[in-house]
Amino acid sequence: MSPILIILFSLLGDYSENWQHIYKYVLTDYIVNSLILVSGVSTLVIIIGSVTAWIVTNYQFVGRRFFEWGLILPLAIPPYILAYTFTGLFDSYGTLNEIARSIFNLQQSESLFPNIRNIYGAILVFSFTLYPYVYLICRTAFLNQSRSMFEIGRTLGLSQKLIFLKLALPVVRPALIAGTMIVAMETLSDFGAVDHFAVSTFTTGIFRTWYGMYDLTTAMQLASMLLIFITFCLVIERMSRRNASFSTISSNFKPTSVKKVSSQQSILCFVICFVPIFIGFILPILEILNWSLRLNSGFFEKHFFSISFNTILLSVFSAILCTFIAMLINFSIRYQNSSTIKSINPFLNIGYAVPGLILAVGIVQLFVFLDNNLLNSFEGYFVTGSIFGLIFAYIIKSYALANSTYEAGYQKISQTLDDSARILKSKGMNLLFRVHFPLLKTSFFTSILLVTSEVVKELPATLILRPFNFETLAVSTYIYASEERMIEAAAPATAIILIGLIPIFFLTKMIRASRLEGRK
Amino acid sequence: MKNILEIRHLSHSYGNEISIIKDFSFILKDGEIASIIGASGIGKTTLLRIIAGLEEPAEGEVRIKEELVSSKNFMLPPEKRNLGLVVEDRALFPHLNIKKNVMFGINNIEEKESLTRYYLELFKVLDLEEKFPHEISAGQQQRVAFARALITDPDILLLDEPFAALDKRLKSELHLETKKIFKEKGLSVILVTHDEEEAEYFSDKILVFQEDKIIVR
Repeated sequence: MSPILIILFSLLGDYSENWQHIYKYVLTDYIVNSLILVSGVSTLVIIIGSVTAWIVTNYQFVGRRFFEWGLILPLAIPPYILAYTFTGLFDSYGTLNEIARSIFNLQQSESLFPNIRNIYGAILVFSFTLYPYVYLICRTAFLNQSRSMFEIGRTLGLSQKLIFLKLALPVVRPALIAGTMIVAMETLSDFGAVDHFAVSTFTTGIFRTWYGMYDLTTAMQLASMLLIFITFCLVIERMSRRNASFSTISSNFKPTSVKKVSSQQSILCFVICFVPIFIGFILPILEILNWSLRLNSGFFEKHFFSISFNTILLSVFSAILCTFIAMLINFSIRYQNSSTIKSINPFLNIGYAVPGLILAVGIVQLFVFLDNNLLNSFEGYFVTGSIFGLIFAYIIKSYALANSTYEAGYQKISQTLDDSARILKSKGMNLLFRVHFPLLKTSFFTSILLVTSEVVKELPATLILRPFNFETLAVSTYIYASEERMIEAAAPATAIILIGLIPIFFLTKMIRASRLEGRK
Repeated sequence: MKNILEIRHLSHSYGNEISIIKDFSFILKDGEIASIIGASGIGKTTLLRIIAGLEEPAEGEVRIKEELVSSKNFMLPPEKRNLGLVVEDRALFPHLNIKKNVMFGINNIEEKESLTRYYLELFKVLDLEEKFPHEISAGQQQRVAFARALITDPDILLLDEPFAALDKRLKSELHLETKKIFKEKGLSVILVTHDEEEAEYFSDKILVFQEDKIIVR
């Protein structure tokens, strides 16, 4: 909580001349652009996520089994990498415009595809990388809707189309809002994509104020405003999730049946589901492959191995640490039934919603304070600008992932097992390592893999908190892209995507499991 | 009395499995109440779903008011059949309050309010109109489900074990009230039930589904 509180307290401090400048000239841009971005992205993700989820849940069409999990593939690509590949594809001398020129015999000054480096391009980038959040949450909600409800709707005069608009969508509204709020938070937190498209938002403003004006206080004041807005989104998300009254599951719940469609409708369903995967996953992969081929043997050079090693070491270490913390906290909650730990745990989960950039600003302030006041026996800065800051930020940001994995694992272990073990004189750490740990091995490794892939993708916090000259895959991709050296960016970008596929693998397994449950 | 429902040589099966309905024919007259009884999985609900247009028959045809609504090559969509359906789990729309649930199927704006009020009163749920489905009891939910199905003035009311989830006291209370309403309104009803007593109480005709045949009593 301390990095977040430090940032919020900055609102009560003095406001510098830079603040006056920002307030007068650019703050409106930050607010308006952020609002346009969030509303545009929210609208598109609601349309893409809900329509694809509805089609996949209710209709039997060509490729349905693939689309069930294929629609979440874009989650493997962070928005900043999609932004880099989009510029590589759609810039006036980008791959697609070059292809269009050769096909349609266009002049060099003519472009078929419009300029993408603007707020509308950013809306497309966020929408096609983040819609899987809405897709996943809507699909689960649609799977849990009762068939009887739709059948009654049909007898009361609703056509199949109206069933979707007047019944299915309103009923999943809480889930839809929750998914959209996650997307809004991710959009507002992003730095890499908006920076690449030169869109002035809060995150680019915070970065510029800090690194351009060297004014950390004003950067923190801007960060506070963003944090308040994100907290608002978070509150709505939590409230929507709590609204269980929209659940239609009853004791004799009948899952929705999958309807066969005509071949024309089947093609239409295929196209609707394929387009988001094509734009959000296949197209960027093709462009990165194109860069890789142009890079020839230079793809796997020494620098790449060095940054890969840094990234893997850092992410795996952070993941193990984060997983152990989550394991100990969840064990304490279960073993001691401590109300204190129970009440603290939800606060530890808030970290996932705090943008990496804001977290970094707070951690820098906290570490500077520690170095100046408590660790001043060391020469220079001890923790500021060290690897500790990075690991600290990663743990705060990823704790929710590790915690949810452990919570789910513990729910499956009956309390009677603990009682039996305790009667057999197994208690405390003995109980944890002899009974719980072997049973929760899957949760342990799942948590490590999930946190690792999350850490690998994290850009803004790494960019700010990394020690001098220390690079990771994300930072390297950012640096190459900001220097317009897209071809060199291919290797780290590919590595990030490959690691990003790890959670997709787990989600795929979960989706398959849910389908099997639905059939029972 | 006119024929309200005619089923001719109806057969149905799931996939390649043994057929669950074989060459079945049946006529329901206007204002009649017929019950379908039989063991679980024998095809009672399937027959109801075929009548409602929610499932396509493999063979045979279904006519409502002499008009063909289902055959192997033709299916009139459920929304165009003017039927009412009440199921065991009520399937009330969870995002709408009781009043909006009941008026859901009404398109005539002028009559909407008065009709809704009438049916809410008829099923004794007027005081619950502002509440949401999860805020009322199972018995009250079933009353709302009946009101929602009857408000559209359906040609046939299809009931799929509507009383199964209720306790004995509630069940007999609703039996009395609903039968009175059905008879007063001259409704044609098909009731699927496990309960033979319930079938006897309600029906002019009883269809007994057995493994290899359907007997009409």
